Amino acid sequence: MRKSALQPPRPSVRYVNPRFQGPAVLAFTAIITIGGVIFWKLVDSEFQWVFPHAAIRGHYTFDSAYDIVRNLLSWHLAGLFFGVFLTGSILVLLLIAATRYGIGKAVDSLRMSANGDLSTPTGTGPIGELDRFGKKIDAARSDTLTSLQKIRSEAAALATGGMSPEEFRLRWDELKHRIRTIAP
Amino acid sequence: MSGPQAAGDAPLVQGQYVFGLLVRLCVNTAGGVGILFVILYLALSRSLPGDYAGIYHALRNLSPFLRPILAVSVLVYALLACGSTAALCIYVLHKVAGPLYRMERVLDQYRSGVPTRTVSFRHDDQIQPLAHAFNQWIGTLHRDRHRWLATMKDAERHCLQDEATCRSEMEAALRKIAEDMARYH
Repeated sequence: MRKSALQPPRPSVRYVNPRFQGPAVLAFTAIITIGGVIFWKLVDSEFQWVFPHAAIRGHYTFDSAYDIVRNLLSWHLAGLFFGVFLTGSILVLLLIAATRYGIGKAVDSLRMSANGDLSTPTGTGPIGELDRFGKKIDAARSDTLTSLQKIRSEAAALATGGMSPEEFRLRWDELKHRIRTIAP
Repeated sequence: MSGPQAAGDAPLVQGQYVFGLLVRLCVNTAGGVGILFVILYLALSRSLPGDYAGIYHALRNLSPFLRPILAVSVLVYALLACGSTAALCIYVLHKVAGPLYRMERVLDQYRSGVPTRTVSFRHDDQIQPLAHAFNQWIGTLHRDRHRWLATMKDAERHCLQDEATCRSEMEAALRKIAEDMARYH
């Protein structure tokens, strides 16, 4: 029997997180649109005088209108390309830097949690989605800390004694059950 | 180096991924500008009339004629470039957005009390150290929980002896657990 028959191929899952990808898409769209508008305004204003000027000059050594505006158009297209690409690159680098910072803080927070620090805030940064993610981590850590503190105080209270064997046994079993609920 | 340790030490966002993103952005931008150039070239490269007067009048009237063509060509450029860049953003950034979404779900499940398993991202996903750090934390909690339960179980074994020994062993176990839990703050 072929391997594929035994093990069906795992479907390719492409997660889309609009809260994370959406602002990036909007920012890139804004850059392209602004670049296009600037290009349009500049080229249009140049076209308004280049062709009448060429008509008045009188020496018609060109075959088409393209020959008149070749250099002008090349420079403006190059400007559009570099303007959009460089601004987009800066946006990419800022996005990556923010992700590195925010996720880096989340990783540090989880590592600190493994060492017992469940109360220092994660502080993932100002970007909406990363900030929300940091708060989720903090909420999970906070829940764990609350649970551990309750168990600890109950264990300390039981250890001091001064209760009937029946009540002690009941609370002992309850405590065991509570401990089982930590990171189930 | 391979395995979990390598995942923990791996960079959050790999340089190769950033470079790939920039290259794709460059190609995308160049494609958009190229399309704009082709449209404008097709509009401007038509031959002018042969005689002197014809060329003069054609050039005089060209500016108002080109205005809507320029506007439409820029609009086409903007739509195509925005569409392809949006698709690029969604395709490339899902390697960060996907793991983030996955971790959010895992954290929600953890908080709701659903049994937590170790998290692993897809092979080519970014932010791999996040999964490693989460697994490290959950692993520590699991180990501590097992140790505390084992301590309690050990104390319960003494209940086969007399009641007083059982109680004192249990109280000692509880003190040990409370001390052990003090490291969490």
